[in-house]
Amino acid sequence: MVTMMEFFASSLLTAVPLLGALLSLVFWSDPKRVKTCSIASSILTFALILGMARLLPPPPTGLLSLYLLPLGAMTSVLSHPLHEEHRFSWMVTLVCLGFGIGTLTGPDLSGSFFLMMLLVTIIALLYRHHTALWPMSWWGVGLLIFGLVCLGISMLTVPPLSSIASLMICAVLLPLAPLHGGYLTTVTRLPGNLPSFVVLLLPIVGLHQLSTILSAIPEDVVSVVNVLALVGALYSAVKALAQSRVRLVLGYGCLSFFSIVWWFVTITGATTPRTALLVGAIGLATSGLLIAWQVIRTRYGDDVDPQAISGLAAAMPKYAVVLSLLGLASMGIPPFGVFAGFMGLVLTSPQASVFGLFLVLGAWLAASWYIMQLVQQLLFGASRPDLRYTDLLNPELISLLIVVLVLLALGLVPSTLFSPEQAVQPQTTVFLESLAWRN
Amino acid sequence: MLQSFILAVPLFLLLAAGIVMIGGDTSRRIREKLASYPIGLAFLSSLVTLYTVTHEGPIAIRFYDPSSVTSLIIPLGLYVDRLSAVMMTLITAVSMIIYIYSTTYMYQDGHARRYLSLICLTDFVLICMVSSSNLMMLFLFWQLLSYLLYLLAHNHAHVGTLVGAFKTFTILRIADTAFLAGIVLAFQLYGTLEFHELFARAASTPITLSLVPGVDVNGTTVITFLIFIGAMGKSAQFPLHLWLPGSLFAPTPVHALLHAGIINAGGFLINRLAPLFGMSSTTLHIAFVVGTLTAVLGASMMLVQSDIKKTLGFSTIGQMGYMIMECGLGAFSLAVFHLIAHGLFKATVFLYCGNVIHKTRQDPHFPHTDHAVNDEPGFSRLTWSTGFVTTLFIPLLILLGTHGILHIPLLESQGTVIILFFIWITSSQAILTLTRLRAVASWKVSATMLVTLLFIVFNYLFAVESFTAFLYPNPDEVASYFKAAALPDWLFDLLIIGATGLTVLGWCYLYLRAHGQNVWTPSWIEDLRIRLYTVFINRLYADEIYQSIGVTAGHLIHRIDKLERGWSR
Repeated sequence: MVTMMEFFASSLLTAVPLLGALLSLVFWSDPKRVKTCSIASSILTFALILGMARLLPPPPTGLLSLYLLPLGAMTSVLSHPLHEEHRFSWMVTLVCLGFGIGTLTGPDLSGSFFLMMLLVTIIALLYRHHTALWPMSWWGVGLLIFGLVCLGISMLTVPPLSSIASLMICAVLLPLAPLHGGYLTTVTRLPGNLPSFVVLLLPIVGLHQLSTILSAIPEDVVSVVNVLALVGALYSAVKALAQSRVRLVLGYGCLSFFSIVWWFVTITGATTPRTALLVGAIGLATSGLLIAWQVIRTRYGDDVDPQAISGLAAAMPKYAVVLSLLGLASMGIPPFGVFAGFMGLVLTSPQASVFGLFLVLGAWLAASWYIMQLVQQLLFGASRPDLRYTDLLNPELISLLIVVLVLLALGLVPSTLFSPEQAVQPQTTVFLESLAWRN
Repeated sequence: MLQSFILAVPLFLLLAAGIVMIGGDTSRRIREKLASYPIGLAFLSSLVTLYTVTHEGPIAIRFYDPSSVTSLIIPLGLYVDRLSAVMMTLITAVSMIIYIYSTTYMYQDGHARRYLSLICLTDFVLICMVSSSNLMMLFLFWQLLSYLLYLLAHNHAHVGTLVGAFKTFTILRIADTAFLAGIVLAFQLYGTLEFHELFARAASTPITLSLVPGVDVNGTTVITFLIFIGAMGKSAQFPLHLWLPGSLFAPTPVHALLHAGIINAGGFLINRLAPLFGMSSTTLHIAFVVGTLTAVLGASMMLVQSDIKKTLGFSTIGQMGYMIMECGLGAFSLAVFHLIAHGLFKATVFLYCGNVIHKTRQDPHFPHTDHAVNDEPGFSRLTWSTGFVTTLFIPLLILLGTHGILHIPLLESQGTVIILFFIWITSSQAILTLTRLRAVASWKVSATMLVTLLFIVFNYLFAVESFTAFLYPNPDEVASYFKAAALPDWLFDLLIIGATGLTVLGWCYLYLRAHGQNVWTPSWIEDLRIRLYTVFINRLYADEIYQSIGVTAGHLIHRIDKLERGWSR
């Protein structure tokens, strides 16, 4: 039963970014004020979440996801260059933020409504920005529509059909092969700064949905998901290695890590604050890399080949340092959040099979190649004399530094801080006994 | 107060890195010089730590609650025992010398600031690693070290360096992943990553894993084997040694640090986990085989290199193989002694090698070869007799004396035989080198040989007795390691006899050559020698094999990618 206070807190948190979006329409003629309004709304939302977190019903995965969403929106908008063409994406960022928070904090029905609105917004944006050069994006739009239909089915039917339909939505949002197309489309085809925000938003929403339905999913389906997760982790790592376009490398890299999350979820049968930590850290690290790539696109064109840009370490030292740190975070090197989340899960989850564990470690290892290759291509090698190099501007530097610092904090701060109500994981002796492969 | 000294060691190094890194170009030289003071203070703090730990026992500083390691995902803390304190002193001492040398050596280098700050950061990471209070923290700094190695081996605009650095990172990550798997398994099986608890639980609850139906493996064997792969990576053991020659484009002081400090990480790891390794004879035997193979291949490749840095690089690989071999034989303290001696020696050689390279560039007649013309290797009855007596007769006398007169049951203790064998091999090697350098009739040469023998014997006795007692005060513990590492008697005897035979044969061959006689060898041996020379000069074609694997994997990945009509189209 939702209390009045919980309803109030949820409504206020949802309303602030949506009102911010409306307010930005008032300043529409002045891009600078639209951007300021978007940033201010994100900061206000973050401050309100900090202040009102205790009033909200404790989510099963902790409060970390809620904290990360406005931060992600803020850094995404802040890093984007000031231009009148970008006003729309800033405003939509706030709309998506509002719908995202509504989904996470709202009671069942309103949560589903906000999720529906979020999907509709993204589908409409993808439809609007579709180009004939990317026919594959129809497949992604189709999968998002499929997610929308599943959402409708889950609302109208009873278990087990509703649970399976909900699982499908989760697989679209928190990408799981073969339903990952929608996620890849959003990462590659959304306009402006939106990819760098949506890359964080969708998985967080997906994990939230998953945490609410996980217990109702039949065992057989969980087994299938387990296999899909392992295959998906390997498949997406291979795909990431084969890509030359940066956003696809990052998209498939994300998919590989999210598949690992799926595997952990299926073997433990639960989502914990550590799962949220890993999902949030992956999303944020990828968001940071997308922002960093946005910096390059702003300077050298939309679909620039990373191999054509080299030697940034000497010419753009600030950019080089931040990109290196983001690269480290994304490939799961300590002391950043991805490593902490990964270790948290891998240490506290009873392993169903050694084979599975080694496959997961293989996927983790593969990130060292595709991310490192990407970073090395951009940063090292000889600088090109025909290119003009401009190091990070202040807004870009600040937003990227925020991402790096948050990722660092996620790696060093105890996860219990984000979920004070949650009990610490079962003590080791308990799950020692539960290990099936011990003699 | 004491805890402040321990904490000061890494913090001083971090401060030094900060001083070099932060600030404008105008004050760069002053800051570089200034940063040497905190490094010096770190060394002094290490000395105080070593003194205190020796007298008062291990010290633990934890910033987390060990009973709930899961609440803090990366549990940070320091645990300093004698091993850690020795390593801290070694690292800070070598770092101080290298840093002071580097400030002058690299002052005109465009990347000096980056390298110097990275050297300080690497020292910081190394200190944190050797004083980690648990396996998780050790792994954290272990991984950071892998990345720093990648950065240290970097010269941004040089293609060869980029390839080498990427190879370094790739190989180290493979080893790190195995290490991680070992940690995960250790936690899954024993529920803790705290060193002492882990050792106690592993000893009290033997666990058997059934990886494949019908194949049961001891839990500690799997864990130690996986962790050993991690150690193989850092300590450049065959076949994960490829990164070391590939990183030789780095500046000379970086090499000094790499060969004197970083590469010892594998030996340190095995020593830190000695009680766990002592529970698995299989892993120790694997370590022995890998170490022996690396020592033989590293030394063979070293002999045929023409580049001074590569020669030293392969020499390090050989020495690391030697060190791992010692670990595999259960002589853990000997391995630490070895790595300290090697670290100091190699740092000196590398720092001097920079001068030699510079001198060679300035003076086309350098190195001077006139001594080779004047001092033809001759034959001196006195020198060769002394060599024979010191390397063959005296050791045999000692062996018979200890066995027959003192009634020490040598044959029952492989550990003692190993130590004696190492004494003999090392002194033979040193005396052989002396003979080859100056095979002239001189009492001085003969006296030097005897002094060398005494020096080596004393050193080994010191290593075996004093240093072992210092690092592992419990003699039963040391005996248990030797026992765990014991090889089957027939194999052990075969190895000793084989190695002795080869050494004596080598002596005879050199004797005859020095005597001006041609040594008849079958033609197939000559052919084999030439073939092996080609193989070793090409470094076993390992780089080509590595590249071929990379290309094949790339083709396979792209083929798989094309099978799926996905987003890459």
